[in-house]
Amino acid sequence: MAAKEEISNVTTETKNKELDSTTEDPPTSLETISEGNAVRNGVQAAQKDKTKIDILLKATANAPIMKQKKWSVYQDNPIGRISEFIKKYLKLDPNERLFLYVNQTFAPAPDQTVKNLYDCYGADGKLVIHYCKSQAWG
Amino acid sequence: MANDREVLREIWDGKIPVCFTLNSEEICDLQGPDPFYLMVPRLSYFPLCTEKVRKHFIRHIQSDKQEHEMWLEFNGIPLKWHYPIGVLLDIYFNDIQLPWNIVVHFDKFPENVLMHCQNKEVVEAHFLSCIKEADVLKHRGQIVSSMQKKDHTQLWNGIMNDKFDQFWSVNGRLMETSTEEGFKYIPFRCYTNEDKYIQKLVKPMNEEGQRKTLKHLLNEVFPDQENVTVRTHGIVPPLETPLQWMSEHLSYPDNFLHLIVITS
Repeated sequence: MAAKEEISNVTTETKNKELDSTTEDPPTSLETISEGNAVRNGVQAAQKDKTKIDILLKATANAPIMKQKKWSVYQDNPIGRISEFIKKYLKLDPNERLFLYVNQTFAPAPDQTVKNLYDCYGADGKLVIHYCKSQAWG
Repeated sequence: MANDREVLREIWDGKIPVCFTLNSEEICDLQGPDPFYLMVPRLSYFPLCTEKVRKHFIRHIQSDKQEHEMWLEFNGIPLKWHYPIGVLLDIYFNDIQLPWNIVVHFDKFPENVLMHCQNKEVVEAHFLSCIKEADVLKHRGQIVSSMQKKDHTQLWNGIMNDKFDQFWSVNGRLMETSTEEGFKYIPFRCYTNEDKYIQKLVKPMNEEGQRKTLKHLLNEVFPDQENVTVRTHGIVPPLETPLQWMSEHLSYPDNFLHLIVITS
């Protein structure tokens, strides 16, 4: 129940911004990325569903919470890129370890794609990923 | 399943000869080391069997690089240690002649291509994570979560020490089905090229309660392509092989079927 409330809050409060697969520095340049892609999405609105997947990033245990939790990402993005993005967004040290979990059960390999995970474990139109600074689920 | 235990054993015993050579640019003494030959189990992972390789070559590289992480390359491509060896062999099947010639590096770790692997614990964490994911697909994760830490350790020790009975005494529970319907979904990965694989939800039975085959799976994964065939464990399984049987007998120790699409 708590999770559902959180999701609806996020969707009403923030628009889905872009996590561009080519950008090297998403957190600081987020505004420009978002605007740039907004135009492109307007043109390619029909295609968007095919190429982008909504992910919801949730903090676990000692990890800091992200102000924006819901992101729209290219489906071919490897999970390692999502991990790098979270680190940059939260301004964590690049050497600090971050663990990502799907289904609150397993840690996908960094080269696993968002699409594969969404196809197998997505629900309600999105993929929920938990992140943590220490190993959370064995 | 008892009568098909021989299949499990055959798959387990699969080994391939590898010839390791040190990257010529990293040789720092005059003579250079001999190549190092090794039989490696198809079901294992390279970091679990290359300790001796490291020891063999380490004396021949610059002393300041001897603490570096070792990595492997074939035909200019860094080899992903987190894929089982047999999967790598099937992926590069067309280019490989036995013994498989692999180049050993200590310098210039390809950060963007390979995950770091400082020790075997990293392999263990990856391996157990795959097992958990597979059980989420097969039994909603209920069997793996009901296991104790010592069971997980036994699975890992079984694969690390090449002990078939030790591994299967626990893995057998992960392969159990309580109903006629088999697993909820079949854990599989379909490799379309060296660094891309497709994973989807595929049930072992159709809606009429009939057993699905490899052909059904390939039709679901590649709806636009006909006559797709795959290789696994060095063989091309017949398309009429039942999926549930395949999952129970041809899965790697990580409990996934690793199917490499054959391109002609």
